[in-house]
Amino acid sequence: MRYQNATAYRFLAPYLLIFSIFWLWPIISSFLISFQATRTVPWRFAPTFNWGRLIGDPAFFNALKNTLLILVIQVPVMITLAIVMAVLLNSPLLKARGLFRFAFFAPVVVGEVAYSAVFRLMFNLDYGIINKLLNSVGLPRIDWFSNVTPAMGVIMIAVTWRWAGYNAIILLAGLQSIPQDVYEAATLDRVSKFKQFFYITLPLLKPIIVFCAVLSIIGTMQLFTEPFLITERGGPGGGTETLGLLLYRQGFRSLNFGYASAIAYTMAGLAIAISLVQLWLTRDPK
Amino acid sequence: MAAVRLKNVVKRFGGFQIIHGANIEVDDGEFVVFVGPSGCGKSTLLRMIAGLEDISGGEIAIGGKVVNDVEPADRGIAMVFQSYALYPHMSVEQNLSFGLRMNGNPKADTERRVNRAAEILRIAELMKRRPRQLSGGQRQRVAIGRAIVREPQVFLFDEPLSNLDAELRVQMRVEISRLHKELGVTMIYVTHDQTEAMTLADRIVVLNAGNIEQIGAPLDLYDDPANRFVAGFVGSPKMNFMAAKVVGNDGGAVTVELANHCGAKLRKPLSGAPPAVGSEVVLGVRPEHFFEAGEGDCDIAIKADVAEHLGSVSYVYASAGASAGASAGPNPGQEELIIEREASRQRANGDHMVVSIKAGRSLLFDKSGARIR
Repeated sequence: MRYQNATAYRFLAPYLLIFSIFWLWPIISSFLISFQATRTVPWRFAPTFNWGRLIGDPAFFNALKNTLLILVIQVPVMITLAIVMAVLLNSPLLKARGLFRFAFFAPVVVGEVAYSAVFRLMFNLDYGIINKLLNSVGLPRIDWFSNVTPAMGVIMIAVTWRWAGYNAIILLAGLQSIPQDVYEAATLDRVSKFKQFFYITLPLLKPIIVFCAVLSIIGTMQLFTEPFLITERGGPGGGTETLGLLLYRQGFRSLNFGYASAIAYTMAGLAIAISLVQLWLTRDPK
Repeated sequence: MAAVRLKNVVKRFGGFQIIHGANIEVDDGEFVVFVGPSGCGKSTLLRMIAGLEDISGGEIAIGGKVVNDVEPADRGIAMVFQSYALYPHMSVEQNLSFGLRMNGNPKADTERRVNRAAEILRIAELMKRRPRQLSGGQRQRVAIGRAIVREPQVFLFDEPLSNLDAELRVQMRVEISRLHKELGVTMIYVTHDQTEAMTLADRIVVLNAGNIEQIGAPLDLYDDPANRFVAGFVGSPKMNFMAAKVVGNDGGAVTVELANHCGAKLRKPLSGAPPAVGSEVVLGVRPEHFFEAGEGDCDIAIKADVAEHLGSVSYVYASAGASAGASAGPNPGQEELIIEREASRQRANGDHMVVSIKAGRSLLFDKSGARIR
């Protein structure tokens, strides 16, 4: 090895050491554990024990269904909202742009427990502001946390509130990288602002939109905090249990690490597969 | 085709005025170049004609119609941008036809216009490519093609060649000239490159700090500049300016003493009012208007600091040399002169030379830069 390379690796060594212990080893270890029966002592190698259970487990399919439901509804809504927010933030007519940019980004830095508690209060049956607003316009109040559909709605609203601004900021950076003279050329070509958005902005923003979508897909596949804290461990009756929550329940409540590892690998595999399909669908035609 | 008229056009950004009442008449079918240094307001003026910038005061008319409040798309103009402004996600063909398609132009007519533009610019074989697959010159052709398909009354070019390399710039310059002849349309062209201005323009508008310094045909500006700014800006290498003092006045002519050239004196006939004896003036001489010793009306001694040999000619960068026989000036050696000579391998750094200035081949300016004729 050349001297310069050796020096570089010496500088990298502390990071590589920590990465190996706390990242690489758990990744490998959990993969191996997923092939072991961990409900017995000592653990024994049984390749079909966890993976076989996964295929026939109604709890797994319930969690998978919930996760995918959130994915197909919440992610497109959030990305659309983020694009609208980014376009508004980018408008030269907007005053106090810095303030809005901060306000949109703020939810990401708010503590998860605090924001979950606030959402629980807002959607409280008797005292929540949402039900009070519904009542004030003559609509009946909704028992948000006792029925599956409204509970799922709360989860989606909460996740959207938390991450839409974050995605809007990323999209805003993309918007600002589109040269102004392209729009000026279109203006001279008598292309309306509306058509400019659909025929110029969206196609040129596509790589950033795909990036945000892939990030969101990965995030949603791992969704844990909201169903854990807002709908109280995936309630009502597992109606909002996600794969992340099922993993936690199996691993850290039932201490069934083998099955939890199999679930974790399934989540990762699904996230990669969905992201690849997304990338393939939105690829640039040659 | 249409004439363009600017009357007292003013532009302010906030409280800052950057165009101070521009008056320009561009005739139908004429090729006019706005030239000036960076920040002189030439691009802003062009963008005001295009409608991409609001007009703070005055009037712009295209084809006899005042267009101050007319939308850019309705002004009958097409613009070629410095950065090409092509739609990166569209093919060349889509770039050319985009505007027409968006406005519901009949398909057959769109095809006809696109094919005509492709033929004029010889880009037919590039139609399926994306902008990123094109060279700088090809991109610029597509940008010009996009302007052609609009069939405008006036073409506006905003420094279209400044992103190209030197060789391609010359080639595209010829292309644009050819295009003007072929289409016969009014063209307004912005550049900071005086060579482009000289070679392309029917008339040049020289701008400086938001003011029009002079409007005229290229050779008129070269031979008869209105002031020191125009004299210095037009011509390459630029005109030499030498500090001088009026030491005599014999009615039809003044005698000036060159301050940095050991008191060398030149008698310069004038047609107008002469400056007062004792006043400080500036003598302008173009690099190609220095003659061999004794051939002109005033000889000066110089020392060559650097000689650039371009093949056909050599440029000698010189400072005032040792005594030419007269008394020493106030700051000997402070002025650098550029002198054009026939190509010669013998001229080298450190050479002492004597060159001559002809009164008829020099210009006189007062201290404020105004021409003394």
